[in-house]
Amino acid sequence: MTKELEHSFVEQLEQHQNIVHKVCRLYTNNQDAHNDLFQEITIQLWKAYPKFRGDSKFSTWMYRVSLNTAITLYRKSKRNINTQDIDGIQYKIKSEPYDDTEEQQLKLLYNAVHQLNDIEKALVFLYLEDKNYNEISETLGISEVNARVKMNRVKTKLKTILNP
Amino acid sequence: MDELDILKKDWQKEDSRYPKLSYNDIYVMILKKSSSIVKWIFIISIIEFVFWTVISFALKDAEFNKKFESYNAGNIMIPFMVLGYLILAYFFYKFFMNYRTISVTDNAKRLMENILKTRRTVKQYVAFNLIYLVVSAFLVLGIEFNRDETLIATVNKAAADGELFKFYAVTILATTFVLAVIIGLFLVFYYLIYGLLLKRLNTNYKELKKLEV
Repeated sequence: MTKELEHSFVEQLEQHQNIVHKVCRLYTNNQDAHNDLFQEITIQLWKAYPKFRGDSKFSTWMYRVSLNTAITLYRKSKRNINTQDIDGIQYKIKSEPYDDTEEQQLKLLYNAVHQLNDIEKALVFLYLEDKNYNEISETLGISEVNARVKMNRVKTKLKTILNP
Repeated sequence: MDELDILKKDWQKEDSRYPKLSYNDIYVMILKKSSSIVKWIFIISIIEFVFWTVISFALKDAEFNKKFESYNAGNIMIPFMVLGYLILAYFFYKFFMNYRTISVTDNAKRLMENILKTRRTVKQYVAFNLIYLVVSAFLVLGIEFNRDETLIATVNKAAADGELFKFYAVTILATTFVLAVIIGLFLVFYYLIYGLLLKRLNTNYKELKKLEV
């Protein structure tokens, strides 16, 4: 029974692993920290898996557990030193060849997002994943109106970071 | 198009920029142990419960307490101890019930609240113990003044010398000082352990609460 459970869990996580990688990308600044957080999220997902009833999609369920681990349960490892400007190095930003401007812009944007606090990052993450405000509010436990208001503030904050 | 939408376009590109972990890589991960703050809170809380239980047992068997029994102060001390155990049982039960409600699949705010609630139970237990310690110390002092012959003799001598007030003041101040030092040490310990462990959770919880105002 456990073997079956393990198998179906690992298989599904393997398929949807990008969700976890994306959370790690927002919340960490270097490869070691990324791996560390990925490890912790995997453990939390696995621990919660027996209670996963399948009434929501596996991926939807993953969003919640992954974000909860990143903003609440995870103890930042000592290796997670806050280094700026690593995003462009760590993840090769894909853009059209020779389009330096776009690449530069994306790099600045990713760096700006890294400067947000944990909750703001969670909002940005869900927004980037195309979640609607209802899902955002349910994942974070705030009202839909407040999620919208906060999202607008985050956008303004990003603008300020980018154009001080 | 605002900044986030530019980012979204890039973010949603079907990409190969993330590491691709194999089935086996992930399988190895699920066998590892968690190092989440909930696990640490659980471990520290259990240590606290054990620590205070051991302390109360150790005090019960101490030489000092055996001497104390000869004062026939059982009618005060026994109910006091029974009360201590009942309260320990109550806190332990409450701690476990709270701990069981912590679920990583809850929404972020509820998860944080449940962790803080579990933590609060242990904090209340420790506060109770510190208060218990202070009350017992003064209770013991009161009984000693009434029953300990050496002490009674000293009191009488001080009274004869006209220094009764000074004697009482010094004893009470010294006891208060010792208790203050003990409590102070506990507070520093708490500040360090939980301050570090829960700093991030507290910040994020405040941020979520702020959104509701």
